[in-house]
Amino acid sequence: MNPNSIIVSNLSKKFSFPVKNPSVGWVKNLFFPETKKIVAVNDISFSVKHGERIAFIGPNGAGKSTTIKMLTGILFPTFGKINILGFDPTKNRKKLAYQIGTVFGQRSQLLPNLPLTDSLEFFGVMYDMPEKEIKKRIAELVKLFDLSSFIAQPVRKLSLGQRMRAEVAASLIHKPKIIFLDEPTIGLDVVAKKMLRDLLLKINKEENTTIFLTSHDVGDIESLCNRTIVINHGVIIKDLPTKNLTKTFIYEKYIDLVALSNFTIFPKLPEGITYSSKDKNKITVVVDINKINVQESLKKLLDLFEVKDIDVYNADLETVIRHIYERSSTSN
Amino acid sequence: MIKEFYFALYAIKKNIQNSAELRVSFLINIIGMSINNTAFIILWIFFVKSVGVINGWVAMDIIGLLGFGALSYGIVFSIGAGIRKLADYVATGIFDRFMLSPKNLLIRTATSFFSVSALGDIVFGVVCLVIYIISIHATIYQILLIGLLVIISVIVFLTAIITIYSMSFFFVDANLVTGSLFELFLTPSLFHGGAFQGVMRFIFTFIIPSLLIGALPVEIVRDVSLEKLLLVGSLAIFWFIISISIFNRAVKKYESSNFITFGN
Repeated sequence: MNPNSIIVSNLSKKFSFPVKNPSVGWVKNLFFPETKKIVAVNDISFSVKHGERIAFIGPNGAGKSTTIKMLTGILFPTFGKINILGFDPTKNRKKLAYQIGTVFGQRSQLLPNLPLTDSLEFFGVMYDMPEKEIKKRIAELVKLFDLSSFIAQPVRKLSLGQRMRAEVAASLIHKPKIIFLDEPTIGLDVVAKKMLRDLLLKINKEENTTIFLTSHDVGDIESLCNRTIVINHGVIIKDLPTKNLTKTFIYEKYIDLVALSNFTIFPKLPEGITYSSKDKNKITVVVDINKINVQESLKKLLDLFEVKDIDVYNADLETVIRHIYERSSTSN
Repeated sequence: MIKEFYFALYAIKKNIQNSAELRVSFLINIIGMSINNTAFIILWIFFVKSVGVINGWVAMDIIGLLGFGALSYGIVFSIGAGIRKLADYVATGIFDRFMLSPKNLLIRTATSFFSVSALGDIVFGVVCLVIYIISIHATIYQILLIGLLVIISVIVFLTAIITIYSMSFFFVDANLVTGSLFELFLTPSLFHGGAFQGVMRFIFTFIIPSLLIGALPVEIVRDVSLEKLLLVGSLAIFWFIISISIFNRAVKKYESSNFITFGN
């Protein structure tokens, strides 16, 4: 048996669209517009094993959604090959649909005016499940996702958190082997986010469902995904275990200095140390350990400031990801 | 294929239930469309009575024409109103949902929406055809012919809207283009059949199949013309094959988008 759920080889997607040329008249622009081509995804390759939890991240316009749409059969690639559970999405769209589930955070797939139970039943029928099996699966999902308090409510009356739980439940009705989620926690409060992440972990554990997720929320990545693929300008720039992400910027250390009384002056710092934030109570500095080591930095900082407390730590994941995005932007 | 049709019927049922949840809007839509159609038929009957017979067409033929037109319109927009929303679906990215479905794309799209007012058209179309059958003292053969021609009208109507709304994949925000093309097809289909002669008749039979909806079926019933029946039937099959092929090619142009939307 192939250990991989997803195999992507040299995948590219180009879009072209007409652009207005201000130096020519509107007639020429109307009938003979110039076209601009953009490469949304540029020759990417990766594979995902069964049961893996992948964060596919990148800044806006990086190519995340385009990739996920090609993997699910929504978009046709310009070049390259995709193999999802043995199917080519461009040729076996219908067969593949029986094996995957999808959740697009910004787009609902539920029937707005009918009770949630009707939407779940609708998806069961769409996946050709027998009536008995649909009922059994709905009961399982209601229990798993704690939907019982609003299962009879019309979908348009649900809160965003309830709706997202319902969306994920609907996408799992046919027990898909892979679930693709495009920003599933967008707009959710912290409690709803945690609940959704816990549920996704649960189905990954209990049903060995492969999770392929795009998100701008570091919490999703940190708490949910064991591997992170970073894409920018259509190119994969990092593919590593999520826990190793912070080690990517190991050459940076952060030091918090808590004031003994109040910081009144903020002198120029030695080479290799820069201010991250300045406050009368607390200063945070970033140390480039390629230029100055931590011990030396501390000595020099203590000469400059009177402090009550010191804290030395690595960059948090959000900072690391921001650095990765910024680095890849400047290198392009 | 049986599973496809079972799901299509189920989706139509759910769409009706979804629309019927908004009860007032549901009833107003049906009643409104019936009043609109009645006003239209009164207008045409007055016109025919003032102008007299044009190329063999009398007032009852107009009722037959509107019967075929309204019934095929009503049936198509009851079972396939989603096709008419293709321009919106494509522009907003809602079409993604159908690409992700394990069902036939065209059937899934067609049955994704239910036009409530189409029920009013069905009722109106049936009433018109019953009046037509009674007034022309139709024989059993003619009644069977009417039944067959209703099926052909529905097929032609369906193929026309599939072809027209497939253009949604070729233009950015194709609402205007598809709306205009639909009017270009629909309006002549409701016009006095006797007005179309010579080049106009050729264009609206072979290039834009508007006359296949009502005018030619009325003439076939009136003249009991097997030649015309064969022609209309052949054109319906031809257009059906062409429209499916256009839709399947057009889908490959789909580029999706990221608008925030609600579902059905």
